[in-house]
Amino acid sequence: MTTLDLPVRVHATLVTDRRELAPGVVLLGLDAPDVVAATQPGQFVMAIPPSGEAAATALGVYEAEGKRASLLFFVTGNRTRELSELRVGERLDVVGPLGNGFDLSGKPSRVAIVAGGVGIASVLLPAQALVRAGARVQLLYGARTAALLVEAERFNEAGCALALATDDGTTGYHGYVTDLLERLPRVDLILACGPTPMLRAVARIAATLGVRAQLSLEETFACGVGGCWGCVVPIVRTSAQAPRFPPANAGGSDFVNARICKEGPVFWSHELRW
Amino acid sequence: MVETKPSLAVKLGKLRLEYPTLMGSGCYGSGQEFAPFANLNKIGAVVLKSVTRLPRLGNPTPRLVHTPAGMLNAIGLQNPGIDWYLDHEVPKYAKLPWRVVGSVAGFSVDDYAYVCERLAARDEIAAVELNISCPNVASEGETFACDPKLTASVVRACRATTDKTLIVKLSPNVTDIAAIALEAEGAGADALAVINTVRGMSIDAETWHPRLGNVTGGLSGPAIRPIAVLAVYEVARVATIPIVGQGGIETTRDALEFFLAGAAAVGIGTANFTDPRIPERIADELRDYLWNRNLASIGEIVGKANVGFANVYEYEGDEG
Repeated sequence: MTTLDLPVRVHATLVTDRRELAPGVVLLGLDAPDVVAATQPGQFVMAIPPSGEAAATALGVYEAEGKRASLLFFVTGNRTRELSELRVGERLDVVGPLGNGFDLSGKPSRVAIVAGGVGIASVLLPAQALVRAGARVQLLYGARTAALLVEAERFNEAGCALALATDDGTTGYHGYVTDLLERLPRVDLILACGPTPMLRAVARIAATLGVRAQLSLEETFACGVGGCWGCVVPIVRTSAQAPRFPPANAGGSDFVNARICKEGPVFWSHELRW
Repeated sequence: MVETKPSLAVKLGKLRLEYPTLMGSGCYGSGQEFAPFANLNKIGAVVLKSVTRLPRLGNPTPRLVHTPAGMLNAIGLQNPGIDWYLDHEVPKYAKLPWRVVGSVAGFSVDDYAYVCERLAARDEIAAVELNISCPNVASEGETFACDPKLTASVVRACRATTDKTLIVKLSPNVTDIAAIALEAEGAGADALAVINTVRGMSIDAETWHPRLGNVTGGLSGPAIRPIAVLAVYEVARVATIPIVGQGGIETTRDALEFFLAGAAAVGIGTANFTDPRIPERIADELRDYLWNRNLASIGEIVGKANVGFANVYEYEGDEG
């Protein structure tokens, strides 16, 4: 049998720091130079549970600098609870980085980034890259309540202008963060990550404003590498990200299911058919 | 004293595998998706995602729900259909250094035979699995595996189309899986995959909606392991063809349960979602397990916990 030379992309990392940013919101710093070296803004990793007793968890790469990558996540179930209980010096194996992140190649000069809740975890890297490239970046950041608007300062430091919104009015605008997008002076590009209803609203507003938007979609993953077709979204056939599949009905159809983990997680909003 | 390394090789009909592990259909793509993260030198074969006569878009999302000790899925046999598949997908498998087993699904006996014949005719495809037990398609999908006569009809029709190894994947959602297994064997199956997923459902108490877009799904993962071990145990008491035991295998200990119940090989599916290194780990540890007990091959432990074990396999030593 032929023997393969396999690139090993499962990385054994060590927890270098751990902070609870708010109740149930954890930032884990990892000694992970290989992940840092390979990560593009908007990519994610599959974090392998140390107990080996549950499926791996897809988490956006929050920071990537020098030897340190970090993961920012909300504790929502057993798998994230297990990750949240890791202590400094303990080992966390991750697969990745995975997926197609944000396309920042168009040299946009004015960019709005819309983040909802834990969606903030996937937008620091693109924000930093855009600021470095000379773009003016406005972060519109919403959460249920003020305490959950974690890491807003970090984006200030990164050179972004900030506008905050909370569902309960405890900080900033009282209402949906997408309301702020509607009132924003014209931008060249919108990036967004957050809950699906927020992303749908961003897509709608972007279409009305005539601005192109890239959305980082949220869905339950199983494999995270394109093997199981569990995390699909309908996308127009003409998209560069569309898998080349034949129409699934006799009359033909103009869309096809793309895998969020493989072709995404970031898609152009005008190419989605949801 | 065992002089050479214990053999893990196994034969399923004409299909000889270096390792007694098959990556479960629908869990592993064609293997290419996992190749950067897993050592595919140390697996037996990859069972491809099921293909049907016509293209299928699959079920609406959510298609996956994580549940205690497992997960529910309802993908709905999304696939490009056999024409496109043979033209665009199968040629890619020619260069793969691991074996791929085709998987056929359908909605009539004629569907199965048609797709099986065309798929099995391709050199890239080492063997064919008949998925007669998909629980996630409206009406017919699982009907075949739940009816002994229909099982026999599908297997007989497919048998007539090819000499390649036919593996028949059985459903646990039946009263008497051994009876179905006997029908499949009698109709010409070379091996039996035991089991497919267990039907299940999860409901969101906040929204009052089922969590899966398809409402119901198939449960996999460690939650179903005892169900699967029992199914293998029961089938192994009547069937004389090899069994691929599968359902919630995550560790070598788990795999050993299946071998001891009477499985000739094991399937690994959901565990790849936990850690893609699991198949390699199981292969290495199985060898150690045999070595430590002075056993020459995996065949020496098959069925050893099953007093009524009916199977008579051909096992090979290291030389094949």
